[in-house]
Amino acid sequence: MLQLVASRLLATIPTLFGVLVVAFLLLNVVPGDPVAEMVGERADSATIARLRAELHLDEPVPVQFGHYLWGVVRGDLGRSYITQRPVLGDLAERFPKTLQLAGAAMLLAVTCGITLGVLAAIRPGGWIDRFSMLIAYVGVSFPVYWVGLLLILLFAVALRWLPPSGYGGIAFLVLPALTLGTRSIAFLARMTRGAMLDILPSDFVRTARAKGLGERRVIGRHALRNALLPIITVLGLDVGNYLTGSILTETIFSWPGVGRYVLLAIQKRDLPAVQGSILFLSVIFVLVNLLADVLYAKADPRVAYD
Amino acid sequence: MLRHLLRTVNLFDTAKSVLFLCFLAACHRQTGGADQARGLVYYETYDPRSLDPALSTDVPTGEMVTLLFDGLTRFDPDGGLLPGLSDRWTTDRKGQRYVFHLRPGVSFHDGRPLVAGDVERSLVRVLNPATHGGRVWPLLPIAGAGDFADGRARDVRGIEVIGDTAIAFTLTEPLAIFPKFLAMPVASVVPSSVTPDFGQRPVGTGPWRFVAWEHDDYLRFARNPNYWGGAPLSESLTVRIIPEALTRAAEFLSGRISVVEVPFGETKKWEQEHPDWLKRKPALRPIYVPLNNRRGPLRDARVRQAINHAVNVPEILRTVWNGRGALAAGSIPPTLGGSDRARRRYSYDTTEARRLLRAAGYPNGFSLQLWRSGTNVEMGRVAQAIQSQLAVLGIQVEIVSRDASSMREAVRKGDTDMAITDWWADYPDADNFLYPLFHSASVGPGGNYAFYSDRVTDSLIMVARRTVDQSAREALYARIDQRVFDAAPWLYLWFAVDLWAEHPSVDGWDISVIFNGQRWTKVRVTAGR
Repeated sequence: MLQLVASRLLATIPTLFGVLVVAFLLLNVVPGDPVAEMVGERADSATIARLRAELHLDEPVPVQFGHYLWGVVRGDLGRSYITQRPVLGDLAERFPKTLQLAGAAMLLAVTCGITLGVLAAIRPGGWIDRFSMLIAYVGVSFPVYWVGLLLILLFAVALRWLPPSGYGGIAFLVLPALTLGTRSIAFLARMTRGAMLDILPSDFVRTARAKGLGERRVIGRHALRNALLPIITVLGLDVGNYLTGSILTETIFSWPGVGRYVLLAIQKRDLPAVQGSILFLSVIFVLVNLLADVLYAKADPRVAYD
Repeated sequence: MLRHLLRTVNLFDTAKSVLFLCFLAACHRQTGGADQARGLVYYETYDPRSLDPALSTDVPTGEMVTLLFDGLTRFDPDGGLLPGLSDRWTTDRKGQRYVFHLRPGVSFHDGRPLVAGDVERSLVRVLNPATHGGRVWPLLPIAGAGDFADGRARDVRGIEVIGDTAIAFTLTEPLAIFPKFLAMPVASVVPSSVTPDFGQRPVGTGPWRFVAWEHDDYLRFARNPNYWGGAPLSESLTVRIIPEALTRAAEFLSGRISVVEVPFGETKKWEQEHPDWLKRKPALRPIYVPLNNRRGPLRDARVRQAINHAVNVPEILRTVWNGRGALAAGSIPPTLGGSDRARRRYSYDTTEARRLLRAAGYPNGFSLQLWRSGTNVEMGRVAQAIQSQLAVLGIQVEIVSRDASSMREAVRKGDTDMAITDWWADYPDADNFLYPLFHSASVGPGGNYAFYSDRVTDSLIMVARRTVDQSAREALYARIDQRVFDAAPWLYLWFAVDLWAEHPSVDGWDISVIFNGQRWTKVRVTAGR
């Protein structure tokens, strides 16, 4: 297992390098000028030229990339052009908040999604099945943006149970987590239902029932455990969705996380901030998927990594 | 059967606990950083760059700097120029040398007394290339400032400290509006020695002291009880960062922010349901379409005039823009000196438009691109209306939607035929609507997006800048505006009228026509919130 983790970690290095190259090239290709965003609506060309030179933006792209790469190797993601603060510090300040939101959304998605899926699979075609699949359809089809605003209108403006937006205690977490988790609830419910329906007619399930195990044990320990395998994979890949989905959710709910940081950085063409965020999020994505693989082995003894 | 199922799946227990947690959360309200028991709550749409005046190049940063710092002069909410840290100033007859006398007894938030040396070092710091500020132009009229900013001089020779209580500026040439330049956030006075994290922990002389800043979340300020202009009436001021317009409306409706700009889509609804909340004021902000005077058929003034006649601006203002504007017949806002309120705007007259197009040699029209920023939905709708009305004349308009940064780059390079945009005043003076927008030295990044270039206009603008007599200066502005208007470098639309809602519990707040005219000193919360 340790070997697996070590080799996988090594393999991430070229992946991350690729991410860096692509991000750097893309940002150099898209129109928009970081210096124009720094100086605001009115500027003299001497100031613009001076700032370009100071930021090395007048150097050839490979040289700029070299500068940047050398910084990354030393653990320095550079300073934001706009705020002049170190990018790594900005990310470290915001990431726990994004993690908190993504974690809450995931918890919600896993508990509600799997529960709905299992309940649906126990009696396919029954009313619970139809009801939960309706919820799943609705959840998948509604845009995050719309769901978020609707939740704010209902729970914050009409009922006044929860604050509309902002960062703080659990009360502030509920609506954004629900918004971010909705798609996943729906997706996981469908996924779990399918996996359970495949598993339930299996021989080992019949054997478990035949030897007199209670239905709760049969479903919970035998069937669900087997159905969990594809779900874990999906969850691992879904982390990417949580991180990108957080851009919209954090904007609607004024949540001070990484998503909004990236969005503003892109709008302002704040190259170090965008590159740093992309690299950072890629690292998280790779690590989470590594974790998913490890969990996979834990959940299924047949899976062995050499 | 349900009970049976519930027993079957132990995961349901977890689901129940999650629901219970949600319930708990609902009970456990009103905690956390974003909440504030009492005191004023304002908002910004994105996190300020910094709280260092030297970096104030955008509106959020400028507004926050205005709370914490003062300049030698300042603006009131209606755009009038008031004394700031300097309580009186004198100028020579030519308007080239200014002496500002400091207000006695002013100290910084940390207790250090303000001296003239602080003023000098603050301005030099802004000009210093090592500051990487990006906005030096308000100080460039000072003799030697340009050389210093470019690293060609060791000091700024036009600044002279006179003892501890006065400072003199010699300008490269007479500039009547120089005291207005000194009211801009970038010219704020900071202590002589600042810490490396000054932008995060600022110390100023302003009405509010810095308390806390959680990035992308909120800033908190406490009243400066010793403020020379009279301590703020409220104990604290919180500024939350809320990017989404409808979320801001929800925050306002649930009583958690003191004032809010009414979202465009909600205009009619709020006007009907809550007329008592609303405040409106004409803003110093033209909404316009620069017609690139150097591209294709737009080079011909008759074509540009035809476009102005072909678009039914009053109708678009009323329907698409919800009437939140005042029709423009020129580029100087009607509330500023130099605007000619008697001037007649281009009438909606398609016959005249056709005649002009024929005369220019385009009887069958031509094709143009109209750029818009994808994030500005309202301006996008205006663009569509313009597109359909120009189609009547055979002018085929293709709408190009890009993000704001891409559009700005294209417009500044002169790669666009037309673009729908607006202009926010830096300082309340007609010069701010002529020099940047129509002087040939300002083409591109300077603000002249129409690439309008006319020697007579240039020289008249420079004459006006040097004219000390206010009424003579305003007469010149009216003349320049007329000359430009006749050449129709823009499709003239309207001046925005700001529409805000003030929470019933808030008292003493007023819309400011200029972003740095708002200090919140006379505002307070009256009822329990």
